[in-house]
Amino acid sequence: MTVSPPSLRRTLRFARSLLRAMMPRSTRRCATGRLATPVGTALATPGALAVPLFLALTMSASPTLAGPRIASLDWTLAETLIALGAPPVALAQTGDYASWVGHPAPESVIDMGLRSQPNLELLASLAPDHIVISPMFANLAPRLSAIAPVQTFSMYTPGEAVWPELESLTRKLGELSQRQAAAERLIEEAGNDIDALAARLPTATRPLLVVQFMDARHVRVFGANSLFDAVMSRLGLDNAWQQPTNAWGFSLAGLERLVSLDEARLVVVEPYPAGVAEALTTSGLWQHIGSVERGDVVTLPPVWSFGSLPSATRFAGFLATALSTDSAPAQVTTETDHDSH
Amino acid sequence: MTAIERHMRPALTTPMVTGGLLLAVFLVGLVVSLTPLGGLATAAQSLLAPASGTAGLVLHYSWWPRLCMALLAGGALGLAGVLMQQVLRNPLASPTTLGVASGANLALMTATLLAPGLLVAGREWVALGGGAIAMALVFSLGWRRGLSPGVVVLGGLVVNLYVGALAMVLLLFHQEELKGLLVWGAGSLAQNGWDSVAYLAPRLAIAGFAAVWLIRPLALLELDDASAKSLGVSLKWLRLGGLGLAVFITGCVVSVVGIIGFIGLAAPNIMRLAGARRLKARLLGSVLLGALLLATTDLLLQGFSGKLPTLIPTGATTAALGAPLLLWLIPRLRLTARRPPSASRTESHRHPMPGRLMLILAILIAGIAVVGLTLGQGVEGWGLALDPAVLEWRWPRILAAAGSGVLLAVAGTLIQRVTANPMASPELLGISGGAAIALIITLFLVQGPSNLMLVGAGTLGALVTLGVLVALNHASGFQPERLLLCGVAITALFDAVRSIVLAGGDPRGQQVVAWLSGSTYYVDPTSALVVLASALLFALATQPLGRWLDILPLGAATARALGIRVEGARFALLALVALLTAGATLIVGPLSFVGLLAPHMARMLGFSRARSHMAGAALLGALLMVTADWLGRQLLFPEEIPAGLVASLIGGSYFMWGLRKL
Repeated sequence: MTVSPPSLRRTLRFARSLLRAMMPRSTRRCATGRLATPVGTALATPGALAVPLFLALTMSASPTLAGPRIASLDWTLAETLIALGAPPVALAQTGDYASWVGHPAPESVIDMGLRSQPNLELLASLAPDHIVISPMFANLAPRLSAIAPVQTFSMYTPGEAVWPELESLTRKLGELSQRQAAAERLIEEAGNDIDALAARLPTATRPLLVVQFMDARHVRVFGANSLFDAVMSRLGLDNAWQQPTNAWGFSLAGLERLVSLDEARLVVVEPYPAGVAEALTTSGLWQHIGSVERGDVVTLPPVWSFGSLPSATRFAGFLATALSTDSAPAQVTTETDHDSH
Repeated sequence: MTAIERHMRPALTTPMVTGGLLLAVFLVGLVVSLTPLGGLATAAQSLLAPASGTAGLVLHYSWWPRLCMALLAGGALGLAGVLMQQVLRNPLASPTTLGVASGANLALMTATLLAPGLLVAGREWVALGGGAIAMALVFSLGWRRGLSPGVVVLGGLVVNLYVGALAMVLLLFHQEELKGLLVWGAGSLAQNGWDSVAYLAPRLAIAGFAAVWLIRPLALLELDDASAKSLGVSLKWLRLGGLGLAVFITGCVVSVVGIIGFIGLAAPNIMRLAGARRLKARLLGSVLLGALLLATTDLLLQGFSGKLPTLIPTGATTAALGAPLLLWLIPRLRLTARRPPSASRTESHRHPMPGRLMLILAILIAGIAVVGLTLGQGVEGWGLALDPAVLEWRWPRILAAAGSGVLLAVAGTLIQRVTANPMASPELLGISGGAAIALIITLFLVQGPSNLMLVGAGTLGALVTLGVLVALNHASGFQPERLLLCGVAITALFDAVRSIVLAGGDPRGQQVVAWLSGSTYYVDPTSALVVLASALLFALATQPLGRWLDILPLGAATARALGIRVEGARFALLALVALLTAGATLIVGPLSFVGLLAPHMARMLGFSRARSHMAGAALLGALLMVTADWLGRQLLFPEEIPAGLVASLIGGSYFMWGLRKL
């Protein structure tokens, strides 16, 4: 007995439609667009010739691409580059970048696939001048360096202060993208903005407990070596979480570990996973947490928790606004002006 | 009844001592975990209403519900385990074996991505639905054979792997959205109210009554099919009823606390070893033992977790602790009705001209390789590329895919012939799992490891696993079934390690997922050439072993009579299998059906003698992997589905289709 081709084909078609249905909407649209291109026309123009032409067109269309062309595997680095006015030519997982970092990457940025496995063929055909990565993807460096020089930038190195490391990261990226002035401006503005916000804050505030829900029973609590902790200490706010954290500055904990921190005010960073908000209304433990009983829980819009200076300013803005209005839960809609840069 | 059980009967004092010891550990755990919360008195006060202060709140809303949940879930899983083992007459059946847990997991993932509204309406029902569908799939695969135990277990295994591969694809592309589910999937018993207990308790009570009512008819299943039928029992419906009940129990538990490994497998087996022969005694004993085991583990873990930045999920921990126990249990189990049917063997015919068939396959491979090399998508869509700058990225991947396909296919042929079991596969030996555990540990201990280091670690892991396999099976003369079971235990350990690591939410988890899903992505030209060369070398080197491989499937006695040193031959062949599997795992990951599929397809095509079987399987393996690699690169461009996953999806579909007709 051999396998019958129709049934195999049916299975494949099913698997494919399943996968397609599960893709983020933005990717789906672009992928179907590509598939709709008749193979015939694509065959008539060999890929190798069409790529430079395509790029020449996009380059002349957008003036921001004047400097070196940088491809970024890492969202934090990409966020910084975009804030410097030198958006990367290509970025990994652009769709997810938009939803997790909080704002979409510019239109010109090309999606190069997964962060852990960027599409090498595609990347090679874009021929960037530099590729920037974080140490997490160091094992890709040898392969990537065949395409363009690879620069590794560390952030959140355990044992190093977060804020100075982010500043030096911004400076280095400014040098690489030949936008040193913009980098200095970004650093200065981020510092000034946060200091200004700190001045506006009410003087006596409770220590804060910044959490992000994993499910109805577990949260990430941000402590030492996290972006949120660094911003809070710059704002002059106390972090109630003094427990050991992992290399990324958070602890994964059950809700019961928050109960003993009765004095702390809870800051919940969205998004809530599906069903969690509903489950919490009937959760006995949650209802008896000090902050919930007092009704002073603060809810903030999504911020990339492993981000760089732009994310820091975003978080500071959201937090300060919520704390100064001092009516919980605050609906924060104001954006800090850095997003428009 | 059998020699082993008669031998175990007089030793009833041992189980009493062990039980007493477990109870003592449980009590110590209780006291230790209560000390920081104000001791037993406060705890008793807080059972019905919270005593004053934070300790009272934690006790009433978290500690007590968690203890109740652990007891309930443990007992329920023990019950489900007994039911499944009784129905399938297989001491190794368990709630996780039959795909229920992985089905529930996939359903929740899909709902999170596509219809989060469903989760608000009731995540229990989503999980239960997913588990039921997976189980129904397993049933439908075994229906034509009257749900015979072997086919059901095999179907469960295949569905588990298949559903696991689908879940892996979703996880690869949506790690951020699914991070919460990873905590659930690793089985955390944390509670923050009495809701879940109130949900679970009545359902389990109903299931318990149903189980008591089923005891008498189920006891008949200990007879063979013919005798049971002559007593007027509809075997199909009885099995369906028993398994259905077990699935309901598992589904309820899994939907509330996530996947808790091992309890459902261990509790009934420990009871059996302790000498409980009657079904009623085993049922009651397993419920109590399961409850106690899970509650004790959870109490001890609670003590640890407070000191770590991450949480250690109880479910995955029981699974990790269970693997060594399983390895210890295997030599002590009765293994009679375990062998799956070898029907496909009788079906197979001999192709008149295997040479011509091989030529056709070789031409097909060449064709697919050319397509994979030249046809693909770029910035501007589909296109035919002849530019060396593009081809340079593609050819190493094609060679590596072909090479790993050959390695797996040869390994698969060897193991299927050594064990005389057409359903055996190198993945099941646990060697891939061992290599993968080593890779995970390296990724987490070393900052920015190089590829060379990862390859070294993977090989070391495979070798250690092989050492364990040899040490455990030396005494029994490498008996095929026991060997495969050891593999199952090691694979379970790998699953547990993976769950614990992913549940922590460390961003490096993404890298672990990428590595484990098995991609030709990381292959550079040199390693591609090395893989292909070694694959061809091994394929040629195994050709002189043809005589062994022709004779060994005929059984140990026949082989000995024909002058083969059976144990020596088995050991040599197994070592070879381990080496081949380790090599392939490093390229395509621990998940792939190629080692199972290629030899199977080769036999169906009519390659029946060992030498041509091996060559045919090698060609088919290469064909499958090259195709999978190309499809994986194109389906979701620019994102890539790893070749190993595509191969398991194709292979799994084919296999289920074949199994349905078995």
